[in-house]
Amino acid sequence: MNRKPLLLSALLLAASGALAACSGGSGNSGGAGDSGESGAPASGSASSSADSGEVVTLSFWRHDYAPEAAAFKKLIASFEEKHPNIKIDFQMIPNDQYETKIRTALAGGNPPDIMALDAPTLASYASQKAIIPLDDYFAKDGNKDDLLKPVIEGLTYNGKMYAAPNNDGTIVMFYNKKMFEEKGIPLPSKNVDEAWTWEQVLDAAKKLNDPAKGVYGWNPTPWGFVGHEGAPYSEMAFLWQAGAEILSPDGKTAKGYLDSPEAKKALTFWKGLYNVDKVSPKELPQDAFWNGKVAIHVDGPFAFQYQQQNFPNFKLGEDYDVAPLWKDRKMVGTTGSWNMAITSHSEHPDEAWQFVNWVTGVEGSKVWYEETKNLPARQSTFDAFQELKEYPMNIYAEQLSKYGHPRPVTPAYPAISEAIRLLFEDVGLGGADVDESLAKAVKKIEDGLAMIGQ
Amino acid sequence: MRAIRASLYEKQESRAAFGFIVPAFVLLAVFIFYPMLHALWISFQNYNLIAAHSSFAGWGNYRKLFSDGTFGASLWHSFYFTLVVLPVQTAISLGLAMLVQKKFRGVGFFRTVYFVPVAVSFAIASTIFRLIYNKDYGMLNAVLKGIGLPAVDFLSNPRISMLGIIVLCIWRAMGFVMVIFLAGLNNIPDSLYEAAHVDGASPAQRFLYVTLPLLKRTLAFVVIITTMDALKIFIPIYITTSGGPAGSTSTVVHFIYETAFKQMNMGFAAAAAFLFFALVLAISVVQLRIFRTDVEY
Repeated sequence: MNRKPLLLSALLLAASGALAACSGGSGNSGGAGDSGESGAPASGSASSSADSGEVVTLSFWRHDYAPEAAAFKKLIASFEEKHPNIKIDFQMIPNDQYETKIRTALAGGNPPDIMALDAPTLASYASQKAIIPLDDYFAKDGNKDDLLKPVIEGLTYNGKMYAAPNNDGTIVMFYNKKMFEEKGIPLPSKNVDEAWTWEQVLDAAKKLNDPAKGVYGWNPTPWGFVGHEGAPYSEMAFLWQAGAEILSPDGKTAKGYLDSPEAKKALTFWKGLYNVDKVSPKELPQDAFWNGKVAIHVDGPFAFQYQQQNFPNFKLGEDYDVAPLWKDRKMVGTTGSWNMAITSHSEHPDEAWQFVNWVTGVEGSKVWYEETKNLPARQSTFDAFQELKEYPMNIYAEQLSKYGHPRPVTPAYPAISEAIRLLFEDVGLGGADVDESLAKAVKKIEDGLAMIGQ
Repeated sequence: MRAIRASLYEKQESRAAFGFIVPAFVLLAVFIFYPMLHALWISFQNYNLIAAHSSFAGWGNYRKLFSDGTFGASLWHSFYFTLVVLPVQTAISLGLAMLVQKKFRGVGFFRTVYFVPVAVSFAIASTIFRLIYNKDYGMLNAVLKGIGLPAVDFLSNPRISMLGIIVLCIWRAMGFVMVIFLAGLNNIPDSLYEAAHVDGASPAQRFLYVTLPLLKRTLAFVVIITTMDALKIFIPIYITTSGGPAGSTSTVVHFIYETAFKQMNMGFAAAAAFLFFALVLAISVVQLRIFRTDVEY
């Protein structure tokens, strides 16, 4: 009588165990070779395991973004062809779940061998020893000297480099050329040294703003007030441009930096955009710029590909143009993009590096650029493509090298990202008092810093 | 002889009963009790989600909760949500139940229509409402504009954003509560209404003195379930607003989620979860006391 339910529950338990194994595991497709080698770590250098002929399966997780996934599939195919002993199990995870999934996997002791890593999260993973330093690998065959300085800076924590960059990124100003011409507004310069000031952009935005037609003058953040890193990425530039800093140079405190008069000026200006001049949309409609609902916009180099695929009739040079990002006291553009890191859990770090270097190395980086049109992180890639020296890519390239500013490298970055995001929301959407909001943000960051000090 | 047989029978019975309980208990223990106890343990530690080591924090996490403004705000958001949803949703559902309890042609159609939102996944409903609420292109504002009313910016105005979530949640849950009320209403014998009618009670009096007292048990069930669900609200907030605009819809569960998985501060999040658990438990106990009833049908 009672045996059956017991059996059932045992079965259930077994099944859930099997499920857990599936979700964490990788190459069932890898075949018979897998099970045998899982216990034995790869001995010696990668080449020796290549000789021995055993097949290593590496799992690799990345957030899902179609054009980049295609580039990865291409690079994985060429890698596996060249390295028959290594199989890559590539998993794409929806963008807004990626960080959570990676973190729970790390917490559960089931992370992939290789993980995609957004630059500012590096320090929190590195400080918890979730990922391994790559300096020895870079010294061996990583061509570190070829990488751009701000990129290296953004990936270095406590003197060690923990990730290899797929590309770098920054955002520039997009403007609807026809609207500018209609209102007789002079077009902004394409020279990164002659960027428009906040006031110049605001002045134009006021003329372009047309509530009756549902047209907003100026959208200063690419995705609007979103719940992810996309918002603080663009918002931090305003702080830096005004001359403010988020943390002290030693990274120990935000007091006296984030609540400086410069930061107050930036936030007061921001508040005005949404609440006084009302030139900026509190809710950014889908594809607002491409649909002519926003006159001045900000976006990354990936925007061109998006436009070609989705709005082929809205043409660069005719309907819109790009110019360097705006400036205030200083010209600053936020930098930092996605990278690849090897988790400390990986049993095959040497093989993992081979793959990472295949994708992010000198040659892989060129393929990556051709496929994704993302801003390269390597000088050799910049040199290899003439189009990077021409409009519109030269604006990104020059802004990146002359005025690039990485986000703070600190294990407390998750707290900072959240604090900055809420700060700009409080002031922009909520019309909250600038001083109070800044005090709240400073406290949040101080709490975050205190936590990592424990 | 007979006594021995009886005790043998009892023994067998109790063994069978035990056998019935064990599997459920094992499942509960493995999947509920053990994780809960473990979470309680975590709440007393400085525990980073991805760290290999953790250190003992004592009451530190709990003490920090009381001085944390964001947690306080999220508590208020949860209670505000519940205080509005509980009476409004219960009243609407009861009203709907009394409407569709009447037998008339096409009543099945109405019952189905009111129940359909329950069958819609919460995630899908939230996504749809986000589109409906859009300030510039949403259906809601298109209609409002059409009849000459000002636009309602549920998604970007911190003052009214919670109301948008409330409308969404009531729309989705009212059908379910309606069905429960319908069952309760059908359990009230017609003879009581007839007697009241003979005594000259008006419809309002019949509702107050017959329907409501006899619905007390159903009402208790509805109130307790609604309260607990409302306090724990998360999915529509995560999907529709992610706690925004300007943190105005960040409820306790959303706070816990953000703290645990975005800030990676597991210990602090677990402490918040336990404090909240204690609060919800206390509220449920009080509600059960209030609704204790002797009325039997």
